[in-house]
Amino acid sequence: MDLLLNLAVNGLATGMLIFLLAAGLTLIFGLMDVLNFAHGGLFAWGAFSGVWVYDLSGSFWLAIIGAILTGLLLGLITEYLIIRPVYGNHVQQILITLGLMMVLSELIKVVFGPDQKAATPPAWLDGSLIVGDVILIKYRLFIILVGFLIYGVTYYILKNTRIGLIVRAGVMNKEMVQSLGINIRMVFMLVFMAGSAMAALGGVLMAPYSGVIYAEMGLEYAILAFIVVVIGGMGNFTGSLFAAILVGLSQAFMAYYFPALSLAVNMLLMAIVLIFRPQGLFGLKVSKN
Amino acid sequence: MKKQKWQNSTFIYIGFIVVLAMIPFINDSRSLLFLIMQIFIFGIFAMSYDLLLGFTGIVSFGHAMYFGVGAYSVAVMMDSNEATVMYLILGLSAAVVIASVVSFVAGILTLRLKSHFYAMLTLALAGLFLVAAEKWRSVTAGSDGFIIMIPDILRDHSTMYLLCLSVLALLFFGLRRLTQSPLGKVLIAIRENEQRTESLGYKVVHYKVIASVISGIVASIAGGLYVLTLRFVDTSVFATDVTLDALLMTIIGGVGTLVGPIIGAALIEIAHHWLSDLSDVHWIFERWIILFGTIYILAVIFFPKGIVGTLAEKLGKRRKQRKKEAEQSKKIAS
Amino acid sequence: MKTLLELTAIQTYIDQYHILQNVSFEVPRGEVTVLLGRNGAGKTTTLRTIMGLNPAAKGNVLFKDQEITTLKPYEIAKRGIGYVPEDQGIFGDLTVGENMRVAMQKEDEATQERLEWILDLFPDLKKFWKRPGGQLSGGQKQMLAIARAYMNETELLLIDEPSKGLAPIIVEKVMESIEQMKEKTTIILVEQNFMMASQIGDRFYILDDGRTVHRGEMEELRVNEQLRKKYLGIA
Repeated sequence: MDLLLNLAVNGLATGMLIFLLAAGLTLIFGLMDVLNFAHGGLFAWGAFSGVWVYDLSGSFWLAIIGAILTGLLLGLITEYLIIRPVYGNHVQQILITLGLMMVLSELIKVVFGPDQKAATPPAWLDGSLIVGDVILIKYRLFIILVGFLIYGVTYYILKNTRIGLIVRAGVMNKEMVQSLGINIRMVFMLVFMAGSAMAALGGVLMAPYSGVIYAEMGLEYAILAFIVVVIGGMGNFTGSLFAAILVGLSQAFMAYYFPALSLAVNMLLMAIVLIFRPQGLFGLKVSKN
Repeated sequence: MKKQKWQNSTFIYIGFIVVLAMIPFINDSRSLLFLIMQIFIFGIFAMSYDLLLGFTGIVSFGHAMYFGVGAYSVAVMMDSNEATVMYLILGLSAAVVIASVVSFVAGILTLRLKSHFYAMLTLALAGLFLVAAEKWRSVTAGSDGFIIMIPDILRDHSTMYLLCLSVLALLFFGLRRLTQSPLGKVLIAIRENEQRTESLGYKVVHYKVIASVISGIVASIAGGLYVLTLRFVDTSVFATDVTLDALLMTIIGGVGTLVGPIIGAALIEIAHHWLSDLSDVHWIFERWIILFGTIYILAVIFFPKGIVGTLAEKLGKRRKQRKKEAEQSKKIAS
Repeated sequence: MKTLLELTAIQTYIDQYHILQNVSFEVPRGEVTVLLGRNGAGKTTTLRTIMGLNPAAKGNVLFKDQEITTLKPYEIAKRGIGYVPEDQGIFGDLTVGENMRVAMQKEDEATQERLEWILDLFPDLKKFWKRPGGQLSGGQKQMLAIARAYMNETELLLIDEPSKGLAPIIVEKVMESIEQMKEKTTIILVEQNFMMASQIGDRFYILDDGRTVHRGEMEELRVNEQLRKKYLGIA
């Protein structure tokens, strides 16, 4: 029981980290029809910049703010310099964002040094919580909490604010949104920045969770995020939450029972979805209107 | 008329190949021959990538897995049996079979969907292959890798060099023939406009899967040759860097040209060689991906046709211009 | 300032196709101007060019005596032009109310007044305020699209074939509402249904092969059978 619960908490925490990465991917894809292969690079940059701030200031909150600012800034630069010139051309988008991914990963080694770095949770999140006879690691619970919080806030914004409605309307019909007097390019940029910030937040939260960070982690997590986006349905925000939890849990349980197979199982899940429901498990039928 | 033109360029290529074939007899410096062999091998690899990206418009981010499959098939086959030509051929056949199965499955799963899916799936699949190679230590020896023996006949550098050159030449002419065949015309039509091709009655998915499979097979042959020249294999053959190399070579050299990727391979390999020498001077040269990545990004935006494509376009324009001028002067004269 | 919108020698390309070759017309304030012509004559493209969705390669578009030819669609919309596309462009997953909210740039009193006025004109929208746009009937969608386009301090409304695919009785209703909107805003109407167009139009332009080939008062077209035959194929 203890073990199962711990594995579940583990899986949920991993799932939430992947969700933070996948949510941005899926939103950007849904609205802009751009699949950003550099998204994992923003995740790694969030981790490194956050840990750097944490080492300097000793404040966990400052580290989070630092990572989010890094994400916003990199998102702004990326959208403006890299994505804008290739709107509407899928092949070019895919090619250019992978190039950016490589550059971002290598730049980490230049800026923060080529070695992996250790990271620890702040004192108030260190250790475990004992409920009855169950021991739960505090930091993992914290990640789960933050994950649901981000989901809730984003969901609220999409559902109830005018900017959220504009984003959803933009997913359905960009031209009409423009014809109603809205600068869709500006909306694109905001969504891209928000998505990048989410990825960076995922990165900095991931650092104390795994204990070490390294430049290649961006690509590793990006692969999981792609699996999640496919399973959840490209462009489906809520779908990506469920799919991330699914992948996180399968990752955690497989890593414990059949460690060699954990990536393979997730790949298999994705392959099954691709065969039978390419619009994703949670995707609705694509409607024209 | 058309045939004549086709033959002209063939003669030029054959001339080049003859010149390249003479190099080992002029200068048999080991490091020079080795460098040129790497160019040949990555030229083959990049050509296979070009068939997908340049001719069919498919983006694969997992091309390293075919390369790695080729490398390990040959290495494991010769390591666990004997280092004879027969086992080399058996190893290569195994490589071709595995690569066709993998590329077929990846193609069937995603090529009917938007281009993002193939890119994502191949990226993930390649990740899976890398993890598998690292975990399955009893066969692959993990990231430590292992040294392999090669058939005696190939121990001579010049022979190995000529083998690589002939495989390159064979595959180059084969792929060129393919791209000029009716099948190749359909592939190009798919790249230009998928819906129109579909509405003309072609089963687009079938053609894309065929391109995926041929490309996978050719890439695995490159991987097989690679371990032969290195006489060593480790999991780095599955690394994303390998895919990135193919991308760089194809984009910088020129997509959809077949020659472009070979030129791209030469540039990148020479630059690799040169920059790794420089890394003793300053560590920043170890981070060569930043430089190449930036060039690559700029190339995608500003020169999406690469060196060969851009040159061909310029020449074509000039030729057109000249034609126009000639016509105009004729008009004026009359 | 009687002329609200003026197009001069407009040429528009879509990809390599030369769709509009020479379109010129004037739209007087407060009137309904109807664009007529066969399928493929360039009527929809003309509206899209005014809106900036297919910008003109040559020629000028003047709105309120200001050049808007090269502005972005959203800038054009902000100047006071509303667009109702042929397919209505309803955001299917958003409710009627949310569709309206996307269009409301300001939350001031004037906007509120506009909203009340338009909901009085289309009481159905009030009734189905919380229903997803995708579940509305064809006529209701048309009404929502018109109402939505009207929200932005709109002085000129571009409506593309509002009668298309609607039952005659609904067409009647939509047309009545458009007539009532005349008192609030100038309208350019693209319409194949000549009967309907002649009921509410004040003046007309005929487009053929991407050119404006004829202009006149609506009355003229009603009596001139030959003209109708020549350009519209109807007697």
